[in-house]
Amino acid sequence: MSIGAEPHPRGIRQTMSDLHIWAGLLTGWFLYAMFLTGTVSYFKDELSQWMRPELPHQAEVPDAAGVAQRIADELQKVASGSSQWGITLPDARNNVASAFWRVPGTEGRRAFQSATFDPATGHKVSSRETAGGDFFYRFHFQFHYMPVLWGRWLAGFCAMFMLVAIVSGVITHKKIFVDFFTFRWGKGQRSWLDAHNALSVFGLPFHAMITYTGLVTLMALYMPWGSQTAFKTPAERQQLTAELSAFIQPGKPSGQKAALAPVEEMVRQAQARWGHDNINRVTITHGGDAAARVSVSRGDQGRTSVSPQYMLFEGNTGRLLETKDHVGPAAETRGVMYALHLGRFGDGVTRWLYFIVSLAGTAMVGTGLVMWTVKRRQKLPDPDRPYFGFRVVERLNIAAIAGLSIAMAGMLWANRLLPTDLPDRAAWEIHSFFIVWGLMAVHAVLRPAKRAWLEQLWLATAALALLPLVNVFTTHRPLWRSLAEGDWVFAGVDGMLWALAALHAMLAIRTARHSTKVRPARRAAPLRPTPSSAGERA
Amino acid sequence: MTHLAVFLLSTLGFAGLALAMERHQEDLFGHALAATATRSLRMAGVAALLLALGVIVRAQGWGVGLVSFSGHTSLGAGLVFGVLIVIERTRPRQTARR
Amino acid sequence: MSAVFDRARSAGPLLSRIVAAVFGGYGLAALGSVAALALPMDKTQAVITGALASFAIYAGAVVWVFAVRSARRAWAGLLIAAVPLGLAACSVWSGGAAA
Repeated sequence: MSIGAEPHPRGIRQTMSDLHIWAGLLTGWFLYAMFLTGTVSYFKDELSQWMRPELPHQAEVPDAAGVAQRIADELQKVASGSSQWGITLPDARNNVASAFWRVPGTEGRRAFQSATFDPATGHKVSSRETAGGDFFYRFHFQFHYMPVLWGRWLAGFCAMFMLVAIVSGVITHKKIFVDFFTFRWGKGQRSWLDAHNALSVFGLPFHAMITYTGLVTLMALYMPWGSQTAFKTPAERQQLTAELSAFIQPGKPSGQKAALAPVEEMVRQAQARWGHDNINRVTITHGGDAAARVSVSRGDQGRTSVSPQYMLFEGNTGRLLETKDHVGPAAETRGVMYALHLGRFGDGVTRWLYFIVSLAGTAMVGTGLVMWTVKRRQKLPDPDRPYFGFRVVERLNIAAIAGLSIAMAGMLWANRLLPTDLPDRAAWEIHSFFIVWGLMAVHAVLRPAKRAWLEQLWLATAALALLPLVNVFTTHRPLWRSLAEGDWVFAGVDGMLWALAALHAMLAIRTARHSTKVRPARRAAPLRPTPSSAGERA
Repeated sequence: MTHLAVFLLSTLGFAGLALAMERHQEDLFGHALAATATRSLRMAGVAALLLALGVIVRAQGWGVGLVSFSGHTSLGAGLVFGVLIVIERTRPRQTARR
Repeated sequence: MSAVFDRARSAGPLLSRIVAAVFGGYGLAALGSVAALALPMDKTQAVITGALASFAIYAGAVVWVFAVRSARRAWAGLLIAAVPLGLAACSVWSGGAAA
């Protein structure tokens, strides 16, 4: 493509189309992975439960106050002397409590430990060590095997390209609502364009929202200039932090030992204010010291914002110091945008809507990538020897799309099959994900392209479909038991695995049919026109 | 129940809007409908969508309600669209269509 | 050989646009996020507003760069947009020193 000073300037729709294609192609594989892992993350808590089968199904949410007290007591033993404990309480979707704490003596450096706890006993969970669904969630915005900051910059870079792709896509497709309803099915390259358009348009509010709000979640990293210009002292910067998060600065310990007042009572006050099951976090600074502080944060329900709302107590007396329940207008806007991205505020149906439309977004990115090769294959002078760039895109598509599904399923297989006493087990589940992905990439290069697609799509189908079966043989939670007990989390994950397997099977069948229909538009020396090539000029 | 009602209204709303397009009238009925029929369909479609919005906002408030509305309308539009494809595919082909 | 030179020459404006879009766009967005501090609102809220709006500025700048007829116009547009933002940002920097 050559855009530059030209005698006959190309129309804006054409230049925007070029911009859209380049923006999409350069980052498409990353965006696909971000979209798919992000989509799955809407059910990451359920997935985490499924990946800890030793923990029983949670019939009802345990009382937040009791759980908080038990975990705090436990942390006094395992994390005493730490300046900061952060406890996340169980909720309707989470049957564990988790906590992280700053390693004592490491103030000034980022050194934290974390663990998962049984809400009923307060002790560490006795289940297989796993990152659970949180691996996909973190991968979604910071990838893996690289410093967290690099991962987030890469994700932000790709998100910016996505935003440009959306805007240029809309400009290109100005007659968007009319064209939306005129999909033509099954006609070679044109149908891929129409599928891509359809998925883009019907989910456009979501795709635009999710992309922009995604950038907003990490805006402090991407655009720190305003705050750096405005705030010179840590105290001033704290003003900003207070508007954005419930983080309380640990401050200096007094050195005087003082027992922590009952955390239970503090949580009860917060429950009275925000709802019995609407407390999600308790943060304790300098527990066991006279300068201890306890902050109890409101949960996600009942509002579409994550702006900080918490009650702050004096640690050793339990006296209420401050109730923070509102922030300034810009901060609230940012809170709303952040909440829209996370989608944690809604009920089950809203979550499913998020999931479905997000899956459509994933398919939008995938169809875009595949469409690039389909379009260009028609123009290849010799379809058996495509140019290098084409081959790269073609193989990356297979590895990044079909390969990713296999890798994700592979991680779940590892979750079921790795021995429970394996050291670094959680890390090995993650390594399995990447090992499988790497193998699929190799496969994608070695096999002929169409074969590679078919083989990987069928492998994905099998890998997903067999997981509930693996579940039967390796755990005590087979599908029939989950259904009998009304354990919708386990049954839901098993069911979803089959639904996704069916989806991959459909894609495989379609790919098999599509392969036989595509003929290149030109051959080196046509002996006679074949019927399909004559009819394929769509 | 509310969610179901909102979803159905959203789908019907988009069905009305789709049917108010000449292109689909030609596809489905073989000819464009009268101007009054077209206008009524369009108005009914818009009305259904507005009703859906009202119902969901009453049930969930503006914040969560708007988000749910966006989800239901996205899905409803996708569904109408899918049905149009299926109809076109399963109809016996009369002439070679482009 | 001249074909190579021709390609290099026609690549020039494209490269220029890419630089304008990626770096110039970010610069404009960053400038905008600082200029927001000149808005008549609480400093903290202004900082947040600036950051929130910056991505729209960036995306708009990128689209502008590729929508216009020449690389020169692309840069001109960015520079023209930078003037009011720059003035506002300057007032913030000098005002900040006094505050």
